[in-house]
Amino acid sequence: MRYFLRRAGFFLATLWAAITLNFLIPRLQPGDPAEAIVSRLGGQSQAIDPAQVESIRKMLGTPDGNLLTQYGDYLAAVARGDFGISYTYFPYSVTHMIGQGLPWTLILVGVTQVVSFVAGTLLGAWAAYRRNSRVDSVITLGSTFVGTLPFFWLALVLIYVFAITLNWFPTGGGYGGGSDPGWNWLFFSDAFQHSILPAVSLLIVGPIGWIIGMRNNMVQTLGEDYARLARAKGLPRRRVALTYGARIAVLPNVTGFAIALGGILGGTVLVESIFNYPGLGRMMLEAVSNRDYPLMQALFLFITVGVLIANLLADLLYGVLDPRVRREEAG
Amino acid sequence: MALLEVDDLSVTYSPRDGTPVRAVDGVSFEIADGEFVGLLGESGSGKSTLGNAILRLLDKPAAVSGGSVRFDGVAVTSASEEEIRPLRWAKISTVFQSSMNSLNPVITIGAQFADTFAAHGREGDPATLLDLVSLDADVLRRYPHELSGGMKQRVALALALALEPKFVLLDEPTTGLDVVVQHNILQRLRELQSQLGFAVLFISHDLGTVMEMADRVMVMYAGELVEDQPARAMMSAQLHPYTQGLLGSYADPRATEISVDYIPGRPPDLSRPQVGCRFAARCPVAIDDCSTQHPQLLPAGAGTARCLLVERAGLVDARRARSFVAVRAEAPAVDPVLTVTDAAKEYRGKRAVDGVSFELRPGQVTALVGQSGSGKTTIARLVTGVERPTSGSVTFTGGVDVGSLRGRKLRAYRRHTQLVFQDPFAALNPTRTPAYALSRPLQNHLGLSKAQARTRAGELLETVGLHPASQYLDKLPHQLSGGQRQRVVIARALAPEPRILVADEPISMLDVSIRAEILELLDNLVRTRQLGMLYITHDLLSARLLADEVLVLNEGQVVERGRTLQVIQNAQATYTQELLDAIPNPVTRS
Ligand SMILES: Nc1ncnc2c1ncn2[C@@H]1O[C@H](COP(=O)(O)OP(=O)(O)OP(=O)(O)O)[C@@H](O)[C@H]1O
Ligand code: SF4
Ligand SMILES: [Mg+2]
Repeated sequence: MRYFLRRAGFFLATLWAAITLNFLIPRLQPGDPAEAIVSRLGGQSQAIDPAQVESIRKMLGTPDGNLLTQYGDYLAAVARGDFGISYTYFPYSVTHMIGQGLPWTLILVGVTQVVSFVAGTLLGAWAAYRRNSRVDSVITLGSTFVGTLPFFWLALVLIYVFAITLNWFPTGGGYGGGSDPGWNWLFFSDAFQHSILPAVSLLIVGPIGWIIGMRNNMVQTLGEDYARLARAKGLPRRRVALTYGARIAVLPNVTGFAIALGGILGGTVLVESIFNYPGLGRMMLEAVSNRDYPLMQALFLFITVGVLIANLLADLLYGVLDPRVRREEAG
Repeated sequence: MALLEVDDLSVTYSPRDGTPVRAVDGVSFEIADGEFVGLLGESGSGKSTLGNAILRLLDKPAAVSGGSVRFDGVAVTSASEEEIRPLRWAKISTVFQSSMNSLNPVITIGAQFADTFAAHGREGDPATLLDLVSLDADVLRRYPHELSGGMKQRVALALALALEPKFVLLDEPTTGLDVVVQHNILQRLRELQSQLGFAVLFISHDLGTVMEMADRVMVMYAGELVEDQPARAMMSAQLHPYTQGLLGSYADPRATEISVDYIPGRPPDLSRPQVGCRFAARCPVAIDDCSTQHPQLLPAGAGTARCLLVERAGLVDARRARSFVAVRAEAPAVDPVLTVTDAAKEYRGKRAVDGVSFELRPGQVTALVGQSGSGKTTIARLVTGVERPTSGSVTFTGGVDVGSLRGRKLRAYRRHTQLVFQDPFAALNPTRTPAYALSRPLQNHLGLSKAQARTRAGELLETVGLHPASQYLDKLPHQLSGGQRQRVVIARALAPEPRILVADEPISMLDVSIRAEILELLDNLVRTRQLGMLYITHDLLSARLLADEVLVLNEGQVVERGRTLQVIQNAQATYTQELLDAIPNPVTRS
């Protein structure tokens, strides 16, 4: 119990630190967002008209007052879930924009991550169970090879072959041609079509880490004395592999997976920009390049909180799965 | 037909990158129902490999490369895994060398009993089994990490007896445990064996224990059996020169005159083809033929032996070839180099050390004897200035109060108190040569130049008996034997020219055959260099050999102290007596 309480306390403290940092960091950066917008609207060559800057600042409701009052306002706003108006997607609110992007990312990356984890762990366990056999060589060498390929290259090859040459799938976007977002069949099948290539690209690289991690862990656990003793005890081979090998080898992977899930939002920038996918990753890229503070801040906060929650889950899960951790912490 | 028949068995390790090593070579023996057989041999002689071959647990890159094992009529070496499985545990069970790690860490002890029973469709009462090894039934609900080393070992033993096997293979079942705990477990094992009547192959490098436990003892050297005799016969007449050397490394610490033997050198490299006798390089009585003619295991004495001389002359005497004779004159009353006065140390309100006083004098050794957890290491940390006493004082020569030193002064002091650790394998950085390991302190503390440091490093290696030094300076630790590594560790401790040497169990990880050699070295260094030495151990025999004075510690308090021989001869405290009892004593076995 103490273990769990301590973890939860740690979580709250980090959460507060993250929120505060998130407030501070953008404010320490040089450059004025209003000026940036003006110059973007008018093109780089034109001189900036101070009056224009001022009116834009008014319109955007750029924060003013000293840092402390700003901080207070900020905390209150965060508590309300109000992150202001997006500069880039004016006049939509940040919350609205995130609501728009979230499902896309969550479904694409969430599903592929889960599938990658399950498949990777199973493949790794299989390789370890049949270690030094042909199955093992194929799995290990194959995943090491794929692991060396750059992701964007892989994605571009997929687009080139399946979208441009074969024309089986669209080259990018989340939906298109004649369907409108909504609860209708046409839209779903359209969105599904669009998600195939990005999903496949993620599924190719996703399991690699889990395969290698699981295989190596399990080869090690199977070589440990407890696994050898289990064999000496006459337990069936498969049972030894499961309870004495895989059960222990999977522990670090489970934690790794929980953390990876938290990193979803941050990790999708690349895939979403390559496939022009309307998720949070691409949105973040735009927010950064446009100095869209409100959106940026909200997204960063989102990512941080995601990672923190995932870490908390990982710790709690580990406590449940591994009796050794529970005790050590309880002292 | 014997219960276990091992016939001309060979096992070879064939690593992917490296030359094959024939770790077990043409080994033949039998074990009858209910017989208790000891297998003795130093580290790397192939004992565990042989054991794994019998259990059919060899993993790549090891494989049986010749001969066969039959158990209870089943050809273990050639049967399929499915044919073997009914034998496993039901008839042949085991306790591994490192039972610390032989229990599944994520399931309870109860579950580990349950899956054993389930795998054989049997029922059983784990509580009764735990009772056999004097454990409470509530252990069943616990996880391995919640048990002490001794408890885990007992669990492993209870588990091994769960299905009432006919044969139990015990591979150093008590290594790493406290001597007293070790002693208790082995006693219990012996009782259970005579009660339940299973046969045992007991693997150990500890001759005293093997002699005390076993009916018959086999001695293994460099992959071969070199002697096989009933324990009692071996006791009175060891045939092979190696066995003689091993037996000579024991003595009764209560004796007024005491000396122990050792066998210099190390076993041959088994990845090279072997000609002649494998022991020839270390054998004190070798003759010319020994290096060319490979001796056979032939009947001799009350058993068999593998030695040309035994073959020809019937008997050899290689005893007292190299001995360490402990001469302890009344130590002169010199001024102490370190004085510990009424020192206490508390951790979280618990007294780890309580009211301890002693002195370290130049050229003399003070032994600190006690069970694990008795506060020995804490005292060492007070002496080296790593910890400050909660009360009392530690005073270095010239009135320096060690407990109040800070920063640069503390560092200057630490130069004078050097440590020799228990584990020579862990104490050296595996990627650094002795030249580097020794030069560092020489350059840092004595301000020598690189070239000077190298010369001095060579001298130090010579001092610790690594001769010629040029052969050792640029080797890496894995190219050195355990004894050689410990010598390098000692040389490193000597490098900054300390006044005090703290040796924490410096020989407990070494093979019996070379322990006395290291003791002799330490003894020489202390006397010739006038070092004050604190020798930490739980082994009264080595304390007797090395120390002028001994302090027996129990739960942080000194329970007994005085001149070593006196303390040992008139042991009063129960703990001291237990320690004495725990010293394997082959001579008194009836
Ligand atoms: N995986 C391996 N690859 C290559 N050689 C090995 C391997 N394991 C052991 N050996 C070699 O086999 C020989 C016998 O090792 P083994 O573990 O059987 O010795 P042992 O008598 O049990 O020693 P100890 O007392 O230290 O347990 C040693 O020379 C060792 O170097
Ligand atoms: S054969 Fe020779 S070298 Fe070997 S043990 Fe006998 S006497 Fe010594
Ligand atoms: Mg061994």
